[in-house]
Amino acid sequence: MTNRFGLPNLGVGLGLRSVHYAHVLRERPAVDWFEVLSENYMQTAGRPLHFLDAIADRYPIVLHGVSLSIGSTDPLDRAYLGELRALRDRTRARWVSDHLCWTGVAGRNTHDLLPLPYTEEALRHVVARVRAVQDVLGAPLALENPSTYVEHAGASMREWEFLARVAEDADCAILLDVNNVFVSACNHGFDPATYLAAVPFDRVVQFHVAGHTDHGTHIIDSHIGPVSDDVWRLLGQAYRKSGGASVLMEWDAEIPSFEVAHADALRAKEVILPPSPPS
Amino acid sequence: MKRHAVEIETLHERASATPDRQAPAPRPPGRPGVPASSIAEKAGDDDASLRSRQLRFAQGLMTPESSPGFLDATIAAKWLTAGPRMTALERFEIYRRGYHSRLIECLVDDYPATQHALGEPAFEDLCRAYIARFPSTGPSLNYFGRGMSGFVREGMPEPFSVRAFTADLTSLEWAIVEVIHAASDPPLTSDGLLRVPADGWATVRLDATPALRLLRFSHPVNDYFRAFRADESPAIPEPAASATVVYRSGPTIWRMDLTDPMVGVLSALVGGEPLGEALARAEASMSDLGEDEVALRVTTWFREWVGHGLFVRARW
Repeated sequence: MTNRFGLPNLGVGLGLRSVHYAHVLRERPAVDWFEVLSENYMQTAGRPLHFLDAIADRYPIVLHGVSLSIGSTDPLDRAYLGELRALRDRTRARWVSDHLCWTGVAGRNTHDLLPLPYTEEALRHVVARVRAVQDVLGAPLALENPSTYVEHAGASMREWEFLARVAEDADCAILLDVNNVFVSACNHGFDPATYLAAVPFDRVVQFHVAGHTDHGTHIIDSHIGPVSDDVWRLLGQAYRKSGGASVLMEWDAEIPSFEVAHADALRAKEVILPPSPPS
Repeated sequence: MKRHAVEIETLHERASATPDRQAPAPRPPGRPGVPASSIAEKAGDDDASLRSRQLRFAQGLMTPESSPGFLDATIAAKWLTAGPRMTALERFEIYRRGYHSRLIECLVDDYPATQHALGEPAFEDLCRAYIARFPSTGPSLNYFGRGMSGFVREGMPEPFSVRAFTADLTSLEWAIVEVIHAASDPPLTSDGLLRVPADGWATVRLDATPALRLLRFSHPVNDYFRAFRADESPAIPEPAASATVVYRSGPTIWRMDLTDPMVGVLSALVGGEPLGEALARAEASMSDLGEDEVALRVTTWFREWVGHGLFVRARW
């Protein structure tokens, strides 16, 4: 199975981080593609775009946002959407993604990926807004499942059902973060396999993997350190269900050298490639 | 004129990760608390609508960590769920810590020398007060710290000398951030200057690159910043007037100290005055020197400034 949107499998990519700009441009490492944080290149006309333009000339780019706030009850920020579309066009990004969450309300942006109540009201609200965003972009939006640390009381469905219904009703794509599935499963006490069983994999255009930090009572989606074996195993299961989609590793704090981060990302190839036949 | 490049160091990538930070240490007795910032629109007590849930959650997040939570255990348990190993309130507190940590990290990235000068605890207090006063309202964190210098100048509860120094230092550090994000056109070259007609030099006007900030200070903060970058653990300096131009050439950010006469000429040119008038200012400010010496000095400065890419256009 491949995704219903016809979006390409770009291979194994890495989140572009500013500490690696010089290395990427100087060494031109063999990376399949880069994902960039949309907002780091918005409301700027300077140095970040200088590097992004040069890197977009050499590598496929995907935009990944953190401030769309698709679930907020504030009006959609049309200026933001216009700038996002312009950045997509400028970088020739293959697609645009953001999170199934809300980040602010009453004009305030918390810059956090906050959990939605999984209710019919929230479902209708999010579906209408995803459609509106896709109208502006003229392309499918990919929504990522967030990692969460608390859930709202009074929910009428679980996150996997909410994700699947948003995707189906709004006809949008899914960025499945298997680390987030693992983190939320531990924090809320569900089986990751239950989550994967509900995902409409024909809508999955991309996977995320990342490191996390286990505090015993809860796990933080810290994006620090190498990806755990549990998360790699989950990626393998999800990848097989999808029939193949682009994979990206995020490393956002205590960022190591490019070589170290890239080497960890390339472990994905061991997970997603079928084992060699016996000789 | 000695100039210094600024190594751009992003300590924490602005991304989708959750800051991994434990609860802050209890505040020492007598230390002032951070005033709460509030959202004017209130959620109804029993309103389970999406809007009210979001208002309640956001108000709880934005309550400073030095204050009791806006959501107490009872309210948290009414609207949020407990997990396998944590109560609803404990789970919510992860978000409250994350909110403040993320914004503090952003300000640490923008103001590393200020953090060094004040020390981490005092700088964190300053950040928490700033976050409460100026909650983010935009999609990007690129400009979140824009009000810090004014905030320090007006409201920082420190002795005046430290406040004035800190205001200067935050101005310098914010200028670096602004120059990182400012647009820039290709620089004016010496070939471009050759096109100025011989009789046009007195009236020629130069457009400075938008990625340039010319700053006057009451303290030698550029010296302090250079020493901080060189890991020299500088002490807070005594007051002394100084001036620095911060600009970007390609991807590189530069800082260059200026003398008073240089500031006079450069600020006149950046302000759009014709070259002849800027030269007259220089002659007035260096009246102890002969006309030829002044002309020689200004020509030297001018050549360097053009070479460094401070100007993008000549108009006559």
